[in-house]
Amino acid sequence: MAELTYRDAVTRGIAQEMERDTRVVFLGEDVAKAGGVFKTTVGLYERFGPLRVRDTPISEQAILGAAMGAAMTGLRPIAEIMFADFLAVCFDYVANQMSKLRYMSNGQLSCPLVIRTGNGGGVRFGAQHSQSIENWTMMIPGIKVVAPSSPVDVIGLMAAAVRDPDPVIFHEHKALYATKGEVPDGAIVDTIGTAKILRPGRDCTIIALALMVPRALKAAEALANEHGIDAEVVDLRSLVPLDTQTILNSVAKTGRLFTVEENPRLCGWGAEIASIVADEAFWDLDGPIVRITTPHIPLPAADHLEDLALPSAARIADKVQRVLNG
Amino acid sequence: MTSTIIMPQLGETVTDGKILAWFKSVGDEIKEGDNLFEVETDKVTMEVQAIVAGRLSEIRVGAGVTAKVGEVVGVVGDGATATAPRGEASATRVRQWRSPLEEVSTPTDRFGPAKGPNGIHLTPLARRLIAQGGLDLAGLTMEAQQRGERRMDGAAVRAAISARPATPTAPLPAPPSPLPVPKGNVISLNAVRLRTGERLTENWRTIPHVFQAIEVDFTAVNRVRRSRKADFQATHGFSLTFLPFIARATCLAISACPQINARFDGKVLTLSRDVNLGIAVDLNHSGLVVPVVRGAGELTAIGLAKAIRRQTEKAKAGKLSADDLAEGTYSISNNGAFGTTFTAPIINAPQVGILSTDAIRLKAAVVSTPEGDFVAPRMIGIVGQSFDHRAFDGAYSAAFLSRIKLILETRNWDEEFPSDL
Amino acid sequence: MASAAGATTGSDRLRNDDIGLDRRLELFRLQVEIRDCEKRAFDLFLQNMIKGTSHLSIGQEAVAAGFGVAMREGDKSFCTYRGHAHTLARGASMEGMLGELMLRDIGLMRGKGGSMHLTSVEHGVFGSYAIVGAHLPIACGSAWRAQYLGDKDVAVCFFGDGTTNIGAFHEALNFAAVWKLPVIFVCENNLYMEYTPISDVTAVKHPAADRAAAYGLERIVIDGNDADVVYRTALDALQKAREGGGPSLIECLTYRHSGHSRGDPAKYRPPGELEEWLKRDPILIYRQRLQEFDVEQETIDSIETESKRKVEAATEACKASPPAPVELLTKDVYADGGWAWRN
Repeated sequence: MAELTYRDAVTRGIAQEMERDTRVVFLGEDVAKAGGVFKTTVGLYERFGPLRVRDTPISEQAILGAAMGAAMTGLRPIAEIMFADFLAVCFDYVANQMSKLRYMSNGQLSCPLVIRTGNGGGVRFGAQHSQSIENWTMMIPGIKVVAPSSPVDVIGLMAAAVRDPDPVIFHEHKALYATKGEVPDGAIVDTIGTAKILRPGRDCTIIALALMVPRALKAAEALANEHGIDAEVVDLRSLVPLDTQTILNSVAKTGRLFTVEENPRLCGWGAEIASIVADEAFWDLDGPIVRITTPHIPLPAADHLEDLALPSAARIADKVQRVLNG
Repeated sequence: MTSTIIMPQLGETVTDGKILAWFKSVGDEIKEGDNLFEVETDKVTMEVQAIVAGRLSEIRVGAGVTAKVGEVVGVVGDGATATAPRGEASATRVRQWRSPLEEVSTPTDRFGPAKGPNGIHLTPLARRLIAQGGLDLAGLTMEAQQRGERRMDGAAVRAAISARPATPTAPLPAPPSPLPVPKGNVISLNAVRLRTGERLTENWRTIPHVFQAIEVDFTAVNRVRRSRKADFQATHGFSLTFLPFIARATCLAISACPQINARFDGKVLTLSRDVNLGIAVDLNHSGLVVPVVRGAGELTAIGLAKAIRRQTEKAKAGKLSADDLAEGTYSISNNGAFGTTFTAPIINAPQVGILSTDAIRLKAAVVSTPEGDFVAPRMIGIVGQSFDHRAFDGAYSAAFLSRIKLILETRNWDEEFPSDL
Repeated sequence: MASAAGATTGSDRLRNDDIGLDRRLELFRLQVEIRDCEKRAFDLFLQNMIKGTSHLSIGQEAVAAGFGVAMREGDKSFCTYRGHAHTLARGASMEGMLGELMLRDIGLMRGKGGSMHLTSVEHGVFGSYAIVGAHLPIACGSAWRAQYLGDKDVAVCFFGDGTTNIGAFHEALNFAAVWKLPVIFVCENNLYMEYTPISDVTAVKHPAADRAAAYGLERIVIDGNDADVVYRTALDALQKAREGGGPSLIECLTYRHSGHSRGDPAKYRPPGELEEWLKRDPILIYRQRLQEFDVEQETIDSIETESKRKVEAATEACKASPPAPVELLTKDVYADGGWAWRN
């Protein structure tokens, strides 16, 4: 057992897979010699060499295109898109290419690659470098999307993503890079498409993702101590495939659902879950489904403003108790 | 082993039924023949019994909800899903989904209205718990209102469940009583009345009614009636009224005017070989039913008297079956007891006419004799008919009425009764 | 045939021929079959047996044939939505190609992809791509893999003049040049970016070749209608790539006889332009070439007859083929063969 930072867990996860399978290669901007702008890939270049860990020009389309061509012809590439916002620059490869390839070719071609990217805000980078765009990727049929909240999940889900024969988008959270968590020794391999109940409860279900997970847990504590509300907190971990059964079972137990989403409100991932629950679990609902989200605005750079925008533990607890007690 | 409880076929034209109340709750053990629920159709209200034994594991359609004939309303057996907190049944969860055209499986249960009769809102969970627990929706929402609450949620229902006995142990509950009358002069109609009203409205709206009446001299009928009355009462246990005579005359007149005894769909008149005579019965001002005497054409006045009596008694006891109400070809509305002069009743579609009779009383009438015309007291009553003017016209209807009058006034009614020998 | 003074006879030419008779016949056969198949596609579209849209390469057969013969098994080609010729040139069957256009079960992808996405991994056709420029970086990826694993195959990507102005073109060329990847970029300059003359929208005269220097690459412009020229150029570039010499950018001058796609009657062409280019029809050129090499007219005729017969047979096979079964709707979204995004 060791305590590891989220960023070191990224390194360890990639290394674990590169060690295991020589087909795993890694490319991105400033990832090799510099060890990544967020220091998430320090030491990989030294360990695996310039053939397997490669710096690219600032060419997001080339990065994803090359990862795709390599994956199609036998490798297991990991591509870094430095800031998740930049996925917009090369979104053709996500939306039109890698996600459609298998289907259009009738199964002749496949694309076993991982795109890892720094998602989310709270680090004062301003509107073009702070967005939570996991919902953009959830919408495209044909890919898989994960967003771990803890170091152990980073490693386990990275391993699962690399081993997955489908294209996986791995949303790391920039504001979590410095956070720490316990990580067991040895190889860690998790399962994509599984959510985890981090805090069982009876009175309501709170579903959260990435940075919102520790905030939801903190809110649950406040809810218990100050309002006598016993909240069940679910770390969704995977947007596609979606672990609907865990969600539905939780709502069957508690009858109340809240989602905590860092993405801006419209078409956030919580809207899809709210729809599924309102449909399949209608007869378990004891009150309206409530989504707690960042408002539908660009993100400001100023710290006090950004902190207001992103759901905080206090805002989460306040909303939940007002809805349940009102 | 599971078996489904379906909404049974309750009558030939019945397509759905509304569950008024469940007598069992989820979790109860059921024996074959136990009353499961009470259902109301547009014709009749009746209980449905269990045909298998077992544990009632699911209620899928709750009280106050209408289900189509053949629809699954409940399940007997151990098919319940595992995650049931505190011993309650969960909603049925459809886990099988294979088609991308059905990526999300909408549940098919229906558990009752979203609001109580007093307007109190219910959460979906509350609705389900009430339905599955066989609880009294009206009562619970009344209590909630009295507590000053605007809605009921699952917690409130669970509290109510734990405050009450787990399963209703009372025997068959009374038919749903009318809603309490609040202050003022607002009267809500009960369910049977409402259904009857809908039917009457539809018939009135679609059929061009024309009413004709004819004055009939019942003196001869009355003479026979009075002479046979005591015997009849002693033999059959009820009183001999004018109605059997009128019914008999009607059936005989129909032979001469067969188009009266027909079903009409708006285009085609289908004459009926048999006369299935509907007799309108007033249920103590709580609604109207028209039970049918089948094969009335074959019955004598006595036979008709007995058959009419039987149906009337069944109607008043609320024991009519769907068959009792089906396949009528002509109807009689007998209002003599009210003392009215004439009545223009509403036709029972798909029939094309309905006879009305009212009070028969002594009146001054002109009697023609070979010696001249004299005023004499005679038993006079108006016999009328509302008829569907699309099916035939006034001349035909008038001929029918004239025929009835002729039969009533000139038939040897003694022959209807057994001889004294 | 009489020869000019100093010129060699047909048989002399054959003796000194670097290409060889077999390959010449192959080049001719491919061009003829591509032409006949594309013309048949044209007809089938008019008969509404081909739906949607189709981008024909009538007039551009020499590029596809030249590279098709030059490439080895294992080499991977990537082309655009105007990819019928390139797919046939790698050896895919006519009924597979026509069948895909007709969206039948016999099609290369059983109708799942359609005209713009022809794929036949078995023949080295690693997809046809409908987003302009997208496949250039993808070809680089295949080349990167070859470089990494020490494989000797080359990635060849075909695209039009219009592609040279999109971002992915420039990213791919720079990327390939910097990493020295074994990839060949083949620009078929048919003078029109969709409906607009390429010269109207490009800062340089030769949209591909005049950009090569920007990436440290050799300027190569060739007559794209002479299959021999294409073939030799292709061989050189392939060898260079295989030996670790890095990428090549080749601009082939050619012309398409029909419009951009089926919906385009191509009225934007100046009068006389088409007629001029028809004189330089690649098949005309190559028929003559064969004659210069003393190939029997009978042989030429039999190739052309056989081509027509194959097209007929393929058409009949496609017409007889049913549409794909409806179960295919949800197959192969994911690697497990299914489509499930939830449990």
